[in-house]
Amino acid sequence: MKGRLFIAVAAVGTLAMAGCSSSSSSTSASGASGSHASTTCSTSIGFEGPITGPVASLGDEQLHFAELAVSMDNAANHTKITLIQGDTELEPAQATTVTQQFTSNSSIVAVVGPAGSQEVEAVGSLMARAGMAFISGSATAVALTTGSYPTFFRVVSKDSVQGPQDANYIVNNLHPKALMIVDDQEAYSTGLVAAMLPIFQAAGIKVDHESVSQKVTDFSSLVAKITPAESVVVLPWQIAANAQQFGRDMAQEHKNAVIFGTDGLFDPGTFTIAGSYVSSFGPDITAIPADAAIVQAAEAKYGSFGTFGPPVFAATHVVDEAIASVCKSGQTPTRSNVLAAIKNTNEPTSILGQPIAFDSHGDLVNGKFFLFKITSTGKYQLIPS
Amino acid sequence: MSFFFQELVNGVTTGALYALIALGFSMVYGVLKLLNFAHGDLYMVGAYIGFFVIQGFGGAAHLRIPVPLLLVIMFVLAAGLVGGLGVAIERFAYRPLRDAPRIAPLITAIGISFFLENSALLLFGAQYRIYNTSEFISFSSSIQIGSVSIDSVQIMVVVLAILLMAGLRLLVNHTRLGKQMRAVAVDREAAEMLGINVNFTIAATFFLGSALAGVAGVMAGLLFNQVTNTIGFIAGLKAFTAAVVGGIGSLPGAMLGGLLIGIAESFVTGYISSTFTNLIVFGLLIVVMLVRPSGLLGRAQLQKV
Repeated sequence: MKGRLFIAVAAVGTLAMAGCSSSSSSTSASGASGSHASTTCSTSIGFEGPITGPVASLGDEQLHFAELAVSMDNAANHTKITLIQGDTELEPAQATTVTQQFTSNSSIVAVVGPAGSQEVEAVGSLMARAGMAFISGSATAVALTTGSYPTFFRVVSKDSVQGPQDANYIVNNLHPKALMIVDDQEAYSTGLVAAMLPIFQAAGIKVDHESVSQKVTDFSSLVAKITPAESVVVLPWQIAANAQQFGRDMAQEHKNAVIFGTDGLFDPGTFTIAGSYVSSFGPDITAIPADAAIVQAAEAKYGSFGTFGPPVFAATHVVDEAIASVCKSGQTPTRSNVLAAIKNTNEPTSILGQPIAFDSHGDLVNGKFFLFKITSTGKYQLIPS
Repeated sequence: MSFFFQELVNGVTTGALYALIALGFSMVYGVLKLLNFAHGDLYMVGAYIGFFVIQGFGGAAHLRIPVPLLLVIMFVLAAGLVGGLGVAIERFAYRPLRDAPRIAPLITAIGISFFLENSALLLFGAQYRIYNTSEFISFSSSIQIGSVSIDSVQIMVVVLAILLMAGLRLLVNHTRLGKQMRAVAVDREAAEMLGINVNFTIAATFFLGSALAGVAGVMAGLLFNQVTNTIGFIAGLKAFTAAVVGGIGSLPGAMLGGLLIGIAESFVTGYISSTFTNLIVFGLLIVVMLVRPSGLLGRAQLQKV
């Protein structure tokens, strides 16, 4: 009997954690309390990110920074914004389910996320039909801002900026005769490879294009393939721990190629292979004095962080400010007036060290990428542009 | 030629790991006819235990005990705790369903897999935990033969895997417990009538299989340096495939299947392209299954009519 009881409990627990975690209502903003917490400026926003699944580490960080932004903005603006979580697992189908739940919840006026470009493609039409603004802090595919998704915005630059910028830096500064480029079989990675390859080929560089799943952790066989002529290995990946292991395998097999990683690898706490390069859609915010309070709060509450959290803070902040501006004008926040306010966003500075304003397609105006070199002590050193 | 041997070394190392996990899979199937899909997640738990042992003794860069002692503690604790977890899973999740239709324990196994994966997420968070093996086992202790580099961790993994496989084979073929396990595998009811404690034998099988998965988890942590709650999925899938290719229920088959998959992956990556690794390796496996449906060393099942 006890055994049967255990199974029932295990089954219910499993369902609760695995299946039903797709959309859990949750976090109310902690900083909203106090006598100034306006009763007239009370509303909800959705958060879509991969809180579980293979890239849960990134989604976790995004969620933490979204919560932090809501908490700090509520305190600063005397608003009472509640964040409602939705777990997409980086799966378009799951993102669609979460979006349907959000769009049918009339208390939600805007959404932060989703994280992946493929998810944005899956939910873009649903969001547009619901008139719901949604801002991603990490979706970089070029096709997302060609007019198909009129309520979509992003606070990061697109692949057509990062890919060519990184490829040109490699061609003009590292001068490889041959290189290896390894995609991780995800849209983010293959998109960047597609943007880089023509530049390498035009420069006459011999390219060995390889491909490994994000779930692979053993790179010894691939590393053995790196020839002495291949002086650069380009890794447009999203999991820094994998790149770190790739670098260790290279050291173990005495390969001297330089690793060049894209923004998905920007993680000073994990990817520390000396001599490597990493690009990022934002600077290292721990080195920006104006971000000190945010960095301190984030580190105190959640520990070290990488590159995926701060843009989500920026995205959430844009939504929070839009809601606050609607309330200041005496209106009640709705999807349409929050959408209009987001379109008019014009922040002279942001957590990312650059202004935030959107063009008519929802792209960041004058977005750029930053390039870092990892020193022998594992520190990320900004390369002046 | 050195490239060939480098890929062979890499393939044998990965294959030894697959073989170790596949052994547990195959043992449980042999005795219970249960596909224990939670097996990969036991491997994940073993990897976490290894990580926390390193942290408990000061972290990779500041170890307070000698490295050999650390390794012994890591392996023994992982084997013991994961073995115990396997026994608990068998006792509370599988035993009550022993006489249920075979689909019931199969679904329960999938449920346990999700349960373990998500429990690890809740307990340890989503971030990757890094072993930093090179901080306490230096590359300078590697062996260099021509341009073939063999890492000391690779050597340790292969040697330990061989010892464990040989030990398990001895246990199964030459001990009283092994004889009981074989008897239960052939006919559980007849074994019970002969006075064999079936529950104990099955629990011991789960302990041994799970302990091997725990040890494999620590090995993977040392080799690949990282652990997160989802690493068990791919490992479990590869181990399952290895067990099936070798002939599920056959221990030598599981070893052979694991090694073959590891080596095939390595050579396809090295000589063709990493892009096609899974395509070609699993394509070959389909061919093997078509030619020998019961696996390379498996025996065809006789059906009572």
